[in-house]
Amino acid sequence: MPDVLTRFCNWTNANRKLVWLAVFVLAVAVLAIVLTPVFLIAPFKGQTPRTMQFSFVMRRWSPLLTLIVSALLLAFSVGLWRGGRWWSRAFLVILLLPVFAATWMARQNHFEWMFNPLPNPAYAKSSEASFVDNDDRVLAVTIGGESVAYPIRIMAYHHLVQDTVGGTPIVATY
Amino acid sequence: MWESTVDGRVLHFRLAGINNQNFIMRDEETGTWWQQVSGKAVNGPLKGKQLKRVFHDELSFAIWRGEAPNGRVLRPDEKIAAANDYAPADWEARVGKMRVVEGTDVDQRLAPRTLVLGLEVDGKSKAYPLQALRNQSPIMDMIGSTPIMLLLGHDKRSVRAFDRRVDGRRLEFFEQIGEHTMLHLVDGETNSTWNFEGKATSGLLAGKQLQKIFVLEDYWFDWRIYHPDTAVYDIGPR
Repeated sequence: MPDVLTRFCNWTNANRKLVWLAVFVLAVAVLAIVLTPVFLIAPFKGQTPRTMQFSFVMRRWSPLLTLIVSALLLAFSVGLWRGGRWWSRAFLVILLLPVFAATWMARQNHFEWMFNPLPNPAYAKSSEASFVDNDDRVLAVTIGGESVAYPIRIMAYHHLVQDTVGGTPIVATY
Repeated sequence: MWESTVDGRVLHFRLAGINNQNFIMRDEETGTWWQQVSGKAVNGPLKGKQLKRVFHDELSFAIWRGEAPNGRVLRPDEKIAAANDYAPADWEARVGKMRVVEGTDVDQRLAPRTLVLGLEVDGKSKAYPLQALRNQSPIMDMIGSTPIMLLLGHDKRSVRAFDRRVDGRRLEFFEQIGEHTMLHLVDGETNSTWNFEGKATSGLLAGKQLQKIFVLEDYWFDWRIYHPDTAVYDIGPR
């Protein structure tokens, strides 16, 4: 194994520069792929079908791409670390940290940081729902004789709640 | 509110983004992005599919409890409630003041944050400013060839819409002012009385139920994005 690594890292000076360039380009590309959709689909911004499509493709592929690039960069870095001066090593770390952060970010749903989901919603009988005021508004649904109310003050936070009403699986949204 | 089943498969949705201030949900099964307000798949493998709408009302809790005494109510999450993260009681007034991002070529018939009651009947859509209904309820109108009625509840906030034909007969309704705590409607043709659920409670038509029409309460800027050909209700000269 060390033998393989040594051979892999046995770059000429010219190749070393190329590897540095590749590392730099990959790092920038990965950051762009992860951060662009965050900006494109930010609240209080106008979106078009095109920006939505862009964002969708980037969000869909970024978990895989960031992983591949992280692995590649790690391999390159081992080579650059060996025989690198302290400043080039420091630069490597500065470059790799945001790439790892982006790799993690690609697996996060930052919209759920703001609005935590409600994976196991609980319900109260209408006579015991002291947490709702008379004037509070609710989304009200009746299917097959079963009636459910989703208070809008709760829905305006979670935005969506999955339920089964009268045997029908639904998603209540607001 | 939507049925979760698409082509025989039950999907599970998560919050995934925002598109012109209306949220995007993503299903965990296929990764498709769905627009909340329209139920349409906008990106991904199921693009073009349409979720089936579940009929629902927006009511004040008191009215709902009166109509559905055996119903169940979604509980708040204790942690989120304790952190005071749920919308405050006056959230509606706050959201009404938030800004709207718009292009230049937008439909200016109403101010962007005007609350409208959006109806779709026979492929035609029409927006009624909530204030118009507050000024005059019920509203009798036609959408295409369908005679409709928009009705404000006794809380002056809850809204329902109906097809106002019964057995082929077109009815005109009036609100009966009196000492009632609940809303009392009377039709001009048979003098039967009707309640907020669209059900005749006494008179010749007792027991009849008007067909409900789905009302989407929305901001004007959002409604017109998804209904570019919408008409707007105009009270006109009186």
